[in-house]
Amino acid sequence: MLNKRKTYVTQLFNALFIGALLLTGSATQAAACEDASTVSVHCGNAPSAAVDDQGRLWVAFVQDKHVYVSHSDDYGSQYSTPVKVNPVAEDAEFNGENRPKILVDNNEVYVSWTKKTSPRFTGEIRFSRSVDGGATFSEPRTINDDGLFTGHRFESLYQTESGLLYMTWIDKRDLEASIEAGDDYSGAAVYYAVSRDGGATFSENYRVANHSCECCRIAIAPRGPDNIAIMWRQIFGVTTRDHAIAVLTPEGEMTEMHRASYDEWQINACPHHGPTMIQGDNSDDYHMAWFSNGDAHQGIYYGRFSFADQQPHDVYQVDGGAGAGHPYLASKDGTLFLVWKGFNGMQTDVQLITSDDEGRNWSTPQVLASTVEGSDHPLIVESDSESDNELYLSWKTEESGYVFTPIRKQVTGEFSD
Amino acid sequence: MIKSSVIKQIPNTLLSVIVSCWLVASASAQEDNFLPFTNDSFAKIKADFAGQEFLVGLWSVDCPPCLVELDMMGELLKANPDLPFVLISTDPLEERVEASEFLEDFELAGRESWMFADSFTERLRYTIDPNWFGELPRSYFFDANHEMQSHSGIMTRELLESWFSRALN
Repeated sequence: MLNKRKTYVTQLFNALFIGALLLTGSATQAAACEDASTVSVHCGNAPSAAVDDQGRLWVAFVQDKHVYVSHSDDYGSQYSTPVKVNPVAEDAEFNGENRPKILVDNNEVYVSWTKKTSPRFTGEIRFSRSVDGGATFSEPRTINDDGLFTGHRFESLYQTESGLLYMTWIDKRDLEASIEAGDDYSGAAVYYAVSRDGGATFSENYRVANHSCECCRIAIAPRGPDNIAIMWRQIFGVTTRDHAIAVLTPEGEMTEMHRASYDEWQINACPHHGPTMIQGDNSDDYHMAWFSNGDAHQGIYYGRFSFADQQPHDVYQVDGGAGAGHPYLASKDGTLFLVWKGFNGMQTDVQLITSDDEGRNWSTPQVLASTVEGSDHPLIVESDSESDNELYLSWKTEESGYVFTPIRKQVTGEFSD
Repeated sequence: MIKSSVIKQIPNTLLSVIVSCWLVASASAQEDNFLPFTNDSFAKIKADFAGQEFLVGLWSVDCPPCLVELDMMGELLKANPDLPFVLISTDPLEERVEASEFLEDFELAGRESWMFADSFTERLRYTIDPNWFGELPRSYFFDANHEMQSHSGIMTRELLESWFSRALN
């Protein structure tokens, strides 16, 4: 439980320092980006980031129908000239749930995105890599192998400890087949592919499950050295859009699938609110956070799924206020960090809570950053180099451009005198 | 201490530049009848319907279930052309061409129609309903006293008949 001193210092800290972040209110980065020729992390859309073993920050973003990659050697003060990933312009999706992804492994940089294609709600899963430290990128390839102009969207990219690359996405090929056969089919399906050679080639596509929700990002976490666990919004019964968790192998098998949340959200609609998930200290435990507006749960929730009993535990309402959304989880040195976005009628706040006991108890929320203009979903990026052991808030706002700011340094401020 | 080096780099330019960008974008293609939905638009819609009942349908080009609803509403309005129905697309006004194609397909292009015209979408949503999380489709019925009822997901004929307290054609 949180002690009183900690609460007081948190409040004091917020009063002193959050004001500093709000001082940017009169300036706006978006205006500086008016010149269309300015390509930068601050002017681009829907950035994702990763920090490599050397402490170099890498950012992928979309601008003017191109995915770009830029890097920074000083944690976001200065950035390299962005490198174009797709040489030919294409409609790379850029929104909170559908952003380019970036992973870095030594000298290799992996980038994925969804290319919007012309029939409505359709797209292709795209991948490109650099084997020369981000100087050049391979010609983008389409990973979905059905050759259909249907929905292949909301891709996620993950690299296991053993170096396997997994790509998961929402796929409508089975919906198309059902329509042709004259059958009803609710939602879409989840598919994936695996690369064993650092993205040089990918396996065939494997189906995980039918009847997923159509428009939410998929969360991925490790399950042993080669397998992954994924969490996504799934349609249970006819209309219940709660969450499922499954274990996938590189051979294309789904070894387990369970219901992960019991929110009872009976809705035939697009929430555009995907979950977040990381593995716990106990390898059978998975920390999850998600959004629901169901009969049982409304707002942002935390829960810890255990593969030991296949149930969620310590389910906790993080924020029931309207405007709450888009949670993101990370952990560092035994502490869990959960950020999410809230709106109070005037401004958008990125809030943070922490837990030192694997999600059984949580701190009171503190505001990490705010804006009075439009903003992207907040993300957390881990830095685990020899010189830097930190978690960073990765957040794009129109007011401030791309913000990459340490989280733990702010939280440890709670305990400083 | 917070490292705010990124924030210190921000040039001191004005919000009005963004606003002018919106205006330029909206002036470029005027084939449709979309109105720019800003912070005071919902109050204006309510004022326009003072003392009258009306229905609001929120939708997006990026929402497959919204298509089902637009299809249903297109059919329903053909049989009940006097039904007071206002459409609001949560897509940015720059996507008006695509949005317009949707409405033409469902014969809704002649209806009163708005599109989000401010990238601070959280605030726009708040002006409509502070209790709406952003899921789509989303609909609101206001009776003659402007008592509000809301619904998430695809509307049904039954729901509309109960809201309007009458049978529909």
